[in-house]
Amino acid sequence: MKSEITRRRFLGTAATVGAGAVALPAAASQKIHPPGWRGTERVDKVPTTCEMCFWRCGIVASVANGKVVRVAGHPEHPQNQGRLCARGNAGTGLLYDPDRLKTPLLRTGKRGEGAFKAVSWDEALDYLAAKLIALRKEHGPESVGFFPHGSGARFFATLMKAYGTPNSVEPSFAQCRGPREVGYSLTFGQGLGSPEPVDLEEAQLVVLIGSHLGENVFTSQITAFATGLARGAKLIAVDPRFSTAASKADWWLPIRPGTDIALLLAWMNVLITEGLYDREYIGTYAMGFEQLAQHVRQFTPEWAAPITDIPAATIRETARAMGAAKPAVAVHPGRHVTWYGDDTQRARAMAILTALLGSWGRKGGLFLPTRIERGSFDLPEFPEPKRGRADGAGTRFPLAPEEMGVTNGLIDATISGDPYPIKAWIVYGQNVLESIPQRGRTLEAIGKLDLMVVVDVMPVEQVNYADLVLPEATYLERYDPPNIVESAKKPFIAVRSPVIEPLYDSKPGWWIARELAKRLDLLAYFPWETPEQHLETILAPTGTNGNELRNCGVVAFPGKPYLEDRPPAERSFDTASGKIELFSQELADLGADPLPRYTPPAEPPDGFLRLIYGRAPVHSFARSQNNEALHALMPENEVWLHTSAARAAGVADGERIVLENGDGARSNPVRARVTEGIRDDCAYLVHGFGQRSKAMRRAFGRGASDNGLMSRVSVDPLTGGTGMRVNFVRPVKA
Amino acid sequence: MSSVIPVTPAPLTTEQAEAMLHHQIKKHHVAIILVHWFNAITWIFEVSTGAALISSRLFRVAPDSYIAMFTGLFGSRANLLQFHIALGLTWIIVFLPYGLFGYGTYLRAEMLKVTDRDDMRWLMIRTLRILGKSNEPLPPQGIYNAGQKAFSMVVWVMTPLVMVTGVIMAFRLFSPWLVGWAVVLHFFAVGMVIAGLVVHVYMGAVFPEEKPAFFSMITGTVNELFAYNHHFKWWREMKLAHQAWEQRRKPKDDAADASEPEKEPAEKPAADSPE
Amino acid sequence: MARYAMVTDLRKCVACKACTVACSAEWDVPAELARTHVRTTPLAGVFPNLKSGPCVSQCNHCDHPPCVEPCPTGATYQDADGIVRVDGDVCIGCGFCVDVCPYEARFINPRTKKVDKCDFCRPRIERGEEPACVATCTAHAKYFGDLEDRNGEVHRLVFHEGARRMETETIAVGPNVYYLGQPEQLDLVLASFPPRPPLLLTAGEAWKKLVRPLVIGVVGATLVGQAAAFFTQLHKGEGDFDE
Repeated sequence: MKSEITRRRFLGTAATVGAGAVALPAAASQKIHPPGWRGTERVDKVPTTCEMCFWRCGIVASVANGKVVRVAGHPEHPQNQGRLCARGNAGTGLLYDPDRLKTPLLRTGKRGEGAFKAVSWDEALDYLAAKLIALRKEHGPESVGFFPHGSGARFFATLMKAYGTPNSVEPSFAQCRGPREVGYSLTFGQGLGSPEPVDLEEAQLVVLIGSHLGENVFTSQITAFATGLARGAKLIAVDPRFSTAASKADWWLPIRPGTDIALLLAWMNVLITEGLYDREYIGTYAMGFEQLAQHVRQFTPEWAAPITDIPAATIRETARAMGAAKPAVAVHPGRHVTWYGDDTQRARAMAILTALLGSWGRKGGLFLPTRIERGSFDLPEFPEPKRGRADGAGTRFPLAPEEMGVTNGLIDATISGDPYPIKAWIVYGQNVLESIPQRGRTLEAIGKLDLMVVVDVMPVEQVNYADLVLPEATYLERYDPPNIVESAKKPFIAVRSPVIEPLYDSKPGWWIARELAKRLDLLAYFPWETPEQHLETILAPTGTNGNELRNCGVVAFPGKPYLEDRPPAERSFDTASGKIELFSQELADLGADPLPRYTPPAEPPDGFLRLIYGRAPVHSFARSQNNEALHALMPENEVWLHTSAARAAGVADGERIVLENGDGARSNPVRARVTEGIRDDCAYLVHGFGQRSKAMRRAFGRGASDNGLMSRVSVDPLTGGTGMRVNFVRPVKA
Repeated sequence: MSSVIPVTPAPLTTEQAEAMLHHQIKKHHVAIILVHWFNAITWIFEVSTGAALISSRLFRVAPDSYIAMFTGLFGSRANLLQFHIALGLTWIIVFLPYGLFGYGTYLRAEMLKVTDRDDMRWLMIRTLRILGKSNEPLPPQGIYNAGQKAFSMVVWVMTPLVMVTGVIMAFRLFSPWLVGWAVVLHFFAVGMVIAGLVVHVYMGAVFPEEKPAFFSMITGTVNELFAYNHHFKWWREMKLAHQAWEQRRKPKDDAADASEPEKEPAEKPAADSPE
Repeated sequence: MARYAMVTDLRKCVACKACTVACSAEWDVPAELARTHVRTTPLAGVFPNLKSGPCVSQCNHCDHPPCVEPCPTGATYQDADGIVRVDGDVCIGCGFCVDVCPYEARFINPRTKKVDKCDFCRPRIERGEEPACVATCTAHAKYFGDLEDRNGEVHRLVFHEGARRMETETIAVGPNVYYLGQPEQLDLVLASFPPRPPLLLTAGEAWKKLVRPLVIGVVGATLVGQAAAFFTQLHKGEGDFDE
């Protein structure tokens, strides 16, 4: 496997599809959105792309008298087909949030105080440029760490690369999908990307192991899930908690947390020993089967049962169901997978299971992306950093890709000064104090910085620790690079262009990056004057252009989602062997297990429960809690406790308690939800609450922060992924 | 004319009666007259539109045809409601200053006097006489008879209630619970006044004995004979007051008033007409 | 004539509340209230044998809407196509209709102080669009259409797929929001969120049972009394004048 797992290049299929897929916009995408009327007000409908989460559904914003009055789904968008989740529908709540960052801010008090003075953009950017120039001279450009995330990150990424720092780190790798991408890449030669290409609507059996789809809401994935179920697909939900998905499942496996690999191995055991795996598929496409078969022989359902707390008969029954439904078995790869530190191996196990069922690249399983050729910019060579990365990507964490980096690795380096001092952080579209565990370390690292810059939309807690705060315009007010999605059955290009002019003194990310580039004498890396020009260049080879895209919102192309859509010669895998690698030589070479092995996680001590966490359908991470409509639906989270655990701790349903972890960290008072719907060894919180920024007036102090209780992590040695489900809490009186 | 003013109504000679019949006494101040008719007209419109507004079968007092007619007349139920509210608020704005400030000037103490034996007997005898069941003479009454006083008491209590509940509904004040009760109490208060009005309008406009009273609400005066026969205690007060005034003017001239025609006393607080 | 109805497939619904937010955004409903409610049934059973499911509800535009009669001014009425509407210009905000709804579909909008509720997005359907909740549903779990259109989806789901009404023995007002789901699931939803008996507020009860009869009685009595007097007067001729 090559380390460029995020570049979606496909041997064979790329050439064919790339050339042929030029300009076949679906007929539907030609539709122009006529203005409407709201009473006597003329309403203009402007298509763009949502960013209330990172699924990026197509939306249409209605504008009357310069005000956005409504955001709804884009009916012709191939991904969400006019549907839109609660957060998307609440987009105006972000746009008109009175607590939004409004002007550039320069710190006046101490870090953490939140004392700022408003300054002009010129002043702010001059200040930043001067600092960056000085840092480059004194400590080298590598001393600047960059924490990007989101659609606008690409502009800053170019800038930072041009500036000369390799230390760009995204939390979506080491705090989220990283080990999954690596695990599947090791196996299939490519990761899954986002949106995950799970063919739920065509599945005959859906396996959710570590996915609480239904509470984790991605519009089109919910549609596919619901459609699949309505068509008769069976559902296996593996979850220590009775999730929404579990409530619909034919089998709910309330697994002991941390033992998923054991279950997966036992499933493999049954599929192989009972001959239920897809022989032909494995024979054609895979290598390493013999080693796999040999390896899993010992991992019987009887072996797994006491480990997983799932009866052997159930393990067998569900494996047989998979065998019967193959290859239309959608084993959902999960999304946030950094749980126990062995997450790459768990992803490997899931990938292997997928392969055994023959569902990779098959209908009802995981489908394949289709390449869309896009334009690129003629940029000068990026300077070669004198020193290597400080975050350990590619070195300490051998399988972590350089494109995404390891956030916690950079935090480690900032604290220790090893391999060299990190003097500055520029944070764009990331919430380092909420999304990265061990926030104490993050704060410690910030304390070591000479310069902390935050580019954000809302005044989240990290803003208080910044020396310079730059207010970005929301997704409704700015251009971003177009949303090009290849991992779709109908791949598409969707526009993100402004619906209204930015409010207050906020600016789009492209403008901020470009203005900085000007001051840093790096404009050569921004060979476009306007974002419209930028868009045209990208669209040049695609057959559509800026005007059409702005008008229609999205242009779709025909896809080749299944292996059978491609000639046999093109059905190969970007692995060393060119085949699906059930056995990973690469891992063996690294001294890691070439076949997944189960290692038990530490058990919670007496009186403690394992803290597990998840999502709510009306919130996105820690970013939506201040939104008026969404806050009204869920102003705070609750801690789920099993009836017996609650009784043992003397906690009544609805009582406000505090969660205390093994290291003495205490949460805000939080309401207890005493329920039968969770194992008695876990406590569950929805992520993103307990916000600490007073400037977020609705969200401040509401509910308990799961992140605040994560003082421990279990780091995956292969990827650096921070396993977060290794913290134990106990309920105490408030 | 004897200078002795009788304590109880005594039979009059033909000449006396004739003289009194042609002599007009001021009973109502012009303000009272204006307010009375303003109220009357306003109430006609408000009650008729109000009855049309209650369309719910649970609460209505008018038939479907009536409701439909009024809705059609105004174009829509929304227009009907708006008219009712607008006129109601106008009524309050016009009437309230008079009600709060003017009342003191025109108010007669008799209005609020607790009814005495004469009043109770009058009510009973009046009712029996009008139904042809008695011929007993009516006890003497003040400027307003017991019936008028009873009606005024109803109005005194119900009018503020109608106004306050009307305003609560018009502006949906405080809470829906309050608005809900306001609707019911508005209906109740109006209903009570209407019951009184049935009698008031009959007595004023239909009953022949009180014809002079009806015209007094236009001219402001009644003839002295009517006052003597129907509001003796008031007639007596005026006579005594005139006598006292005369005596103050000419303290030593005892026989001065023998052949002088009766003069209207210079100052007399005009009594208010009950609404 | 059309007869509008909605069908919600609770097997597909994941209680994501997109419908609630879309509806509120479309009609400017204040954040703390909603025309469309998404709830989840309380967990039934003991670990690990558990049952639970979502329920989406809004105004049912019933065949026999209990909310129409108690409206004093007739602001609440039902169109021929079944949609129960509130004319905001006629509503006086008394709230009688709110407690009378068995499905708790109505509320008083604190801004307008008038009654607010789902109207099946009447302005949208007149433009040929679907109700906002149906259009946004991420699980494609909602259907809207004419019950009488035999070629339509809603007709098929109700008459051929067994979509059920949420009715009990005592409260059967003919709601036109139907539900699809496994029978036990629908039973659980009905048991968890049963329609409640229509409740007329005390003020309304007082009006209906006490004040109205009282007023009619008293006014009637005075009318009768005056009529008697009038006939006596006629009989007697014009007597009793001053001599």
